[in-house]
Amino acid sequence: MSNRDGADKFAELAYAYLNRRIGRREFITRGMQLGLSATILAKLARPARAANLIDSAPEAPYESPITPERVAFLKTKPYKGTTINVMVLKATVGDGLKYHVPHWEEETGGKVNVAEVPIETLHQQIFSDLASGLNRYDAYMTGCWFYGDFFVPQTPYIVEIDEFLKDPKHSYWDPDQWLPAMRKLYSWNGKLYGVLFDGDAQALYYRKDAFADPTNKDKFKAKYNYDLPDPPKTMKDLHDLAEFFTGWDWNGDGSKDYGLALHAKVNEQGFFHFLTLSGPYVVSPDNKYYFFNPDNMKPLINSEGHLRALEDYVKLASDGPREEISWTLGQGWNLFLAGHSAMEPTWGDLPTLAQDPKTSKVQGKIGAAPIPGTTEAFDPIKGEWKKYDLNQVGNTNGGTWHCVINRKSKKQEATYDFLAFMANKKNAFFNAANGWTGVQPGMKFEYLPPIGSGGIDEFKAQGWNADDVQEYLKAYYAVISAPVQQEYLRIPGTAEYWHELDVNISAVLGGQMQPKAALDATAAAWEKITDRYGRDKQKALYQASFA
Amino acid sequence: MTAVARRRREYGGRFKYALLLPAVIWVIAFTFLPVLSVIRYSFANYVLGEGVTGYVGFANYLDVLTSDQFWHSIAVTAIYVAITVPVETILGFIAAWLVNLGAPGSRGFRTIIGAPLFTLEVAIGYLGVTMFSSQGGVVAVALSAIGIDVPWMSTPEGGLAAAILLDIWRWTSFIFLIVLAALSSIPSDLYDAAILDAKSHWQVMWRLGIPLAWPVASIAILLRTIEGLKVFAIPFALTTGGPGTSTQTFSAMDYLTTIQFFDFGKGSAMGVAFLIIVSAIITVFFRQMRKRLD
Repeated sequence: MSNRDGADKFAELAYAYLNRRIGRREFITRGMQLGLSATILAKLARPARAANLIDSAPEAPYESPITPERVAFLKTKPYKGTTINVMVLKATVGDGLKYHVPHWEEETGGKVNVAEVPIETLHQQIFSDLASGLNRYDAYMTGCWFYGDFFVPQTPYIVEIDEFLKDPKHSYWDPDQWLPAMRKLYSWNGKLYGVLFDGDAQALYYRKDAFADPTNKDKFKAKYNYDLPDPPKTMKDLHDLAEFFTGWDWNGDGSKDYGLALHAKVNEQGFFHFLTLSGPYVVSPDNKYYFFNPDNMKPLINSEGHLRALEDYVKLASDGPREEISWTLGQGWNLFLAGHSAMEPTWGDLPTLAQDPKTSKVQGKIGAAPIPGTTEAFDPIKGEWKKYDLNQVGNTNGGTWHCVINRKSKKQEATYDFLAFMANKKNAFFNAANGWTGVQPGMKFEYLPPIGSGGIDEFKAQGWNADDVQEYLKAYYAVISAPVQQEYLRIPGTAEYWHELDVNISAVLGGQMQPKAALDATAAAWEKITDRYGRDKQKALYQASFA
Repeated sequence: MTAVARRRREYGGRFKYALLLPAVIWVIAFTFLPVLSVIRYSFANYVLGEGVTGYVGFANYLDVLTSDQFWHSIAVTAIYVAITVPVETILGFIAAWLVNLGAPGSRGFRTIIGAPLFTLEVAIGYLGVTMFSSQGGVVAVALSAIGIDVPWMSTPEGGLAAAILLDIWRWTSFIFLIVLAALSSIPSDLYDAAILDAKSHWQVMWRLGIPLAWPVASIAILLRTIEGLKVFAIPFALTTGGPGTSTQTFSAMDYLTTIQFFDFGKGSAMGVAFLIIVSAIITVFFRQMRKRLD
């Protein structure tokens, strides 16, 4: 093919795209067939809609930027008389969604009914509604580990959003702003199903004032014979620091303080701590598999690497209050926010909640770092340990809570419109900057330059301490964009796989089981779950999740 | 028989069956069919989104009966019932006896003791989380003030003990109310005669109150035993079954298996196995009760 032919074909392709005869995906795919770079094509395709944007309009006081088509659409109060039903998690993220309901109702004339469901029953409530055919809800707020279950039927329970996304009458948001690891969690087989809301990952938050205290530094060096690591880089650093800050009054308030806060109540979200902290023991530049052997779906969870990680996790848990074994998420955070814990590996809610002086004593004192790494990781496929200078592993562990649209909903368009409204830059930024919404930044524009376009003044306007936000966003970005990422399990039955891991870890922390027995029991339970769902089907989906 | 009488009789017979029909339909629809459905599922492999993907014979039963978790949950449930039901019975009986005697403050006590019965079990469980927490929980703080430090929420024993205490608080009033009604129905001249012969009120209770109230009380005990074997809300709201599965009762385990993770096959097999175990217990209980009554 000559250059001339190629140029003509590309002109035709661009014409078809700009006239909306083909979609963005087809434009990029066919462009790539012409030998053009996907990145350049994606950038070319984006301005077609983005160039059309205006900053604000009186019809849309809660949106910015906004398309002229959207402004015209809102003038008609398009969803007057339409009610949509949304099931959300009864937690901060549910509150975050509810905050936007009256604003969307005001702009569009529609109505949103929100049903709040606690995390213990959310999975069951969502899939009871779908599997029973009741379909009482138009959208569900889902954790990303539920995703596989939506795709078990031949026709998935939820709809992809590409068509809605192309329609300029809906609130504007740009999926190309997603950090790649986050976008993956909202997609299935390369197609987008989720609408932007949350972006979870776990980082390490610590008391930088306590770490910088010269007396503490001297004491630490005297005890461990090396400088206090600020921030901790390796698991050894983390363990030494956790032990060092445990059992004495380092904050001077008259009561005993701790090195590390965890929340480890079973059937809650405590198992994410183990997933995150065990990542660097198994995942490395030489091995990306954490859960299963992709060739036969045999569990890897009882490998030597996982075992060492669990043994170390038990030691870490002893550097917090004994009761944290029964703590929910909020209780774990409270220990840190009250100033009694030197460190906590958790989600970005912690530094955002720390900005509220009513509940926090640690505003302006927060350091943040990626999860410490290891100097040795076990490759469970090859069955061997391998040494590294520093094996640090990023993660997207957590719910990355967001809504998906029920395929059987008769109000899909209105439902998407509401979800897109919350994904609009103005609202998405508000969510990410306010801790009580439970939302963390997954989009580039939510980060400070040079990564994104967020301004520090915008965060300060939401009550942030300037140092805290810089520390937080830098560490958070480092976790999400780390070159070596821990995999995120999303195959059908993930909730059940994780439940088995959760109860067995809890049994170890409660002294009911030894680590080896607990991981062996987990592996045995996983085998049964895999057989029930069908080994070959699970294998195909697991392999596809790495494609 | 005249034709009119014959027709009336035929009509009467049909009418009788017509009256029975709603109840029969109800029982078939809401008892027999679900039980048959559970039995069918117990032999099936069920996957969310696909339904029954095949039949597996007795594999689900084998899986359940060889599962440590299943027997552990049965043991937790048995311990729970073995402690709560006798303690509630004894406390309920004593309280009813004192109120029946007209002890000072009986009237107010009768109102107060009934209050937990009208409280949702799940709310009691969540209340327990705050009461037993070592971070300012009223029970933990009160005990700590007298030098007793109980790890309520961080150990298997503490969690189970907390759930049992809440259950006793909730259900003692049930036994109390039923026994009080039974004691109140005993004619006062029997009491008067017994008091003349007896050395103390305790002797009257032992020789008169308990034997005469027993037929009614045994029904209350039976109901509490059945309820206790199905216990779910209080321990689950309090500990969600943890640490590990240490406070996981049978109902909680079956709920997680069947409802949370949609493993209808294994969950149904668990239900059927448990039904057989409970039926055996109840049969023994009835036999013992009949002996006592005889």
